[in-house]
Amino acid sequence: MNRYEGLREDLEAAIHGPGDGSEAADRLCTACVELLHVDGAAASLMHEGASQGTFGSSGELSRRLDEMQFTLGEGPCMDAFANRVPVLVPDIGHVTGQRWPAFAGAAIEAGVHGVFALPAGIAGSFVGVLDLFRHDPGPLSGDDLDGGMLAAELLAVPLLDLLATDDDQRDEDGVSSLAALERVEVYQATGMIMAQLDVGPTEALVRLRAHAFATNQTASEAAWAVVERRLRLPKDAWREPGAADAGAAP
Amino acid sequence: MDREREVTSAFVNLANSLVDDFDVVELLSALTTECARLLDIASAGVLLADRRRVLHVLAASSEATRNLELFQLQREEGPCLDSYHDGAAVSVPDLEREAERWPQFVRAATQAGFASVHAVPMRVRGHRLGTLGLFGRHVGSLREEDLSLAQALAHVGSVAVVHGTAVADQAALAAQLQTALESRVVLEQAKGVLSQVGDLDMDGAFSALRSYARSNNERLAEVARAVVSRELAAGQLLGQMTKGTSSTP
Repeated sequence: MNRYEGLREDLEAAIHGPGDGSEAADRLCTACVELLHVDGAAASLMHEGASQGTFGSSGELSRRLDEMQFTLGEGPCMDAFANRVPVLVPDIGHVTGQRWPAFAGAAIEAGVHGVFALPAGIAGSFVGVLDLFRHDPGPLSGDDLDGGMLAAELLAVPLLDLLATDDDQRDEDGVSSLAALERVEVYQATGMIMAQLDVGPTEALVRLRAHAFATNQTASEAAWAVVERRLRLPKDAWREPGAADAGAAP
Repeated sequence: MDREREVTSAFVNLANSLVDDFDVVELLSALTTECARLLDIASAGVLLADRRRVLHVLAASSEATRNLELFQLQREEGPCLDSYHDGAAVSVPDLEREAERWPQFVRAATQAGFASVHAVPMRVRGHRLGTLGLFGRHVGSLREEDLSLAQALAHVGSVAVVHGTAVADQAALAAQLQTALESRVVLEQAKGVLSQVGDLDMDGAFSALRSYARSNNERLAEVARAVVSRELAAGQLLGQMTKGTSSTP
């Protein structure tokens, strides 16, 4: 087994286990610190451009640095989500153009120099960001970056669970749930629900998944019902999430 | 047209596309359509592996959801998965004889009316990318020269997937693959939107997207993204298509 395969197994193992989505995210962040040559990790939930904040971390400092980006309204995490690309900052003290002056100052004061923000997406929906922090400046190695990207992908499942509100709509197996969502019929059904309910891809996916849970089906079964026009989700049952629809904002 | 000229024309078209600013999903869709036309098979599809080494459908000669599913199913078992793992061609002249080897896949493929499958690996510079899968309606092997032709087409597809990335840059290669796979997800979502708004089947939704992209000289991925982000209203796209574009050759 090469290093990447080992990483993959360890990260996948981390999101299994008891507790709700935020406990799974805590475990995943802790696993990142153990496996990826970083000193801290934090997970934030973002929804349609409006942040919903930090909800998992490897420790207090990471949580604080992650939250600070929301308070200040700037930082690699914000940019990674807005542009849906990794934002890799090997040395936050030497960033051209002073992109995040307030956040950079705060990070350096806390002894953190490397900040790596990786968008967490699944089935075409971006739901959050994984922040990796390092005391010493310097780039992430290729393996560590691969592992981080993988962790960000795995993180999307517990994040999606958190968007699915109150009901007990969680399954214990994040990895199988990832596989259940990465399917052609799920993507197509998401598009159809977007048009039916006039919502974005994330809401559409959360709605599809919630319906599948509520009716004791897999996401794939519910998706087939939508694609074959045997199922049309009701418009009114959708609870407005706390965040305003700021999807058009840059 | 005789066969030699058909093969030549397929390679000429693909080569011409490669030097322009091409859309990888569209190019590979064209490639799978050529496979279905030139080889003694009924359906072709390209599967690419993601970071977790999981296979995803990138393009297929038919956009019907059940057809895409047959390729998708092979992330768990099937000749395409084996070909990807071993980096070698896998020929299955008679699917029914392999029911024990791939029970789920053989059941689904035979139900869909397929009797044989051939899979050739897609790779560049020793790096495994995925597989080109070829499904036939009758039992039998592909002729040697057809298999070579399939492998050559797969090579063209591999080059298209990694276009522009540096030889040794694994991270850039992984990023390129990821971008291609993500654009496929958005394409499926856009098909869903158009299928709902225009009451179209998924093949029809794909054709509408492709004709719109061609007649407006835009990339397929870009049009799909605009539909999903609602920058381009589905109704507007469909309206332009039904007004009678004569852009199709």
